[in-house]
Order: sequence, then C-alpha cells, then structure tokens
Amino acid sequence: MIKLLEAAQPGFKPPGSGDFIFQPIFGHSLLATKPVVLLFFSVILISTFFIISARKAAVVPSKLQFAGEAVYGFVRDGIGKDVIGEEFQRFVPFLFTIFTFILTNNLFGVIPLMQFPTMSHIGFPVSITIFVYFVYHYVAIKKHGLGKYLKDMCFMPGIPKPMYILLAPLEFLTYFAIRPLTLAMRLFGNMFAGHLLLMLFTLGGEYLLGSAWFLKIFSAISFSLAVGLSFFEMGIQCLQAYIFTLLVALYIAGALADEH
Amino acid sequence: MATSEESAFWTIFSYLIAGLLLWGGVGLLADHLLKTHFLTLLGMAAGMAASLYLIWLRFVKAK
Repeated sequence: MIKLLEAAQPGFKPPGSGDFIFQPIFGHSLLATKPVVLLFFSVILISTFFIISARKAAVVPSKLQFAGEAVYGFVRDGIGKDVIGEEFQRFVPFLFTIFTFILTNNLFGVIPLMQFPTMSHIGFPVSITIFVYFVYHYVAIKKHGLGKYLKDMCFMPGIPKPMYILLAPLEFLTYFAIRPLTLAMRLFGNMFAGHLLLMLFTLGGEYLLGSAWFLKIFSAISFSLAVGLSFFEMGIQCLQAYIFTLLVALYIAGALADEH
Repeated sequence: MATSEESAFWTIFSYLIAGLLLWGGVGLLADHLLKTHFLTLLGMAAGMAASLYLIWLRFVKAK
C-alpha cells in the first residue's frame, strides 16, 4: 500500500531507513560497505593518533601529546575515577577504547565526504554492548561468586517473601537483558535519528532549489538549518559517546559494589 | 545531568520495560494456553505494579 502511494505521488521523496542500506563500495562482499569501511578507518585513525601522540612522550608535552593526554585524562579521571572508585585503574583501557571508538565513529556523521555515523547501524552498538555485557558480568561473578551475585541481584532484603515470585524474575530480566539492551538502543536511536534529520534538510533544500522561484527562498532556509543542525548533531554525538562510556563505568561500578 | 541521575533514569526505564514484557508475556502465554482474553492485560498491569514497587524500593525508600 505504501509502495503504491509512493509510486503514485510525484515530487519530494523523503529519506527513510532505506537510505541506511549501502551497496558494497567494491566487490560483492558485505564487508566492503560504507559503514564497515568507516569502522576500519576509525580504528586506523584512532591507533595512529594515539601512537604518534604517545611516541615522543616528554615532560613538556607537544601539542599532539597534550591533545592525546587530555582525552585520556578525561576518561580516566572524569569517568573511571569518579564512577568506579578504588579499582578504576584496570578498567581505564577498556573505557578509553570504548569512548574514543564511539566518539570517532559518531563524528563521522558530520565530517564532509564521510557523512555517515557508523553507530546508526544497530549491529555496531549491539556488538560493543556484547563486550560490555561480558565484562561487567565477569567482573561481578569473579568478585562475588555466581550464587551470591544472583542472590544479591534478584532478592532484595526487606521484602515480604511471596513478593519474590513477582519481583525476582523481573530483576533478573532487567539486569540481564533490558538494561544492556537500552544501552545499545539509545546510541543507535540517537545516531539514526540525527542522520535522518540532516538528510531530510539537505535533500529538502536540494529539492526546493529545483522548484518554483519563490520556493528557492525556503531552500536557503533548509540548507542553513542543515548546517546549523550539523553543529547541534556534533554536540549530541560527543554527548552520546560520553553517556555510553559513563553507563558502562556505572555498570562496572555496580558489579563491584557489595550490594546492588 | 548528574551521574547518579543518569544511571537512575535508565535503570527505572529498564525496570518498567522489563515489568511490562515479562508479566505481560506470561499473561499472553496463559491466555494462549487457557483460551482466555483478559490475562495479558492483567499480567501487564501486575508487571507495571511490580516494576513501580521495585523502583520505589530502590530509589525512594533507600534514600
């Protein structure tokens, strides 16, 4: 039905989820699509940047070293130390990797020519979340033992016993499925919606440019909104990378805590 | 937003979803097996109530 309507109506075709599906850049492999290529590029970019910035580490830092250390310091002190507390040191590399990886991939969404946030494909946030999932459950089970961990999670003290039938499965589902799921969904949703919005204003501006003369004025408005929103998006992209890392740190802190 | 608030927000959100899904799902299954029609709704309501109770326990009473 929708397909019919689309075919029947001439005029502006708004961007949709179809615009997030790419053909392989070369060959026929699914590993050669734009998001995957961007992903690998981000790894190369991050590695290069931090290897160079750390290579000639000096007491008086160069500009590059200063930039690298600023990001590292932000994750270590602002997220790791503040949230996890005492044992934060051994989780800093993990948090730092997650933060820089998500940040770079998100920012690809507003960098000209790339203009695609990798994380707007659900598979990527889910993959990161799977890593996080294993890390924080492993940490908790190692620290408390499986039995005590589950008991602390599902059986809150101070509740009338029959209530546990209703509550224990609920707690289990929340901590083992829904909470990690929201982690991935939020990052995906934000990136997806942001990219869609930018596409809408850009394509809209382009369409209006080709129509009647008095509509060309609105084309300018649409384009300038696209530019303005790009800056707004940049803020969201940084914020989402930060919140994701922050929540990972909070989950780890929760796993380390004596009770939930 | 402060760190603890951000965490609380998403935990509360997760609890509410989990309550609806879990007990709503159990209700749906029971409806299917018993050929009734009201248990899904009842399950969803019970799940929501259980979620709210847990949230109250963890975030209101604990403070």
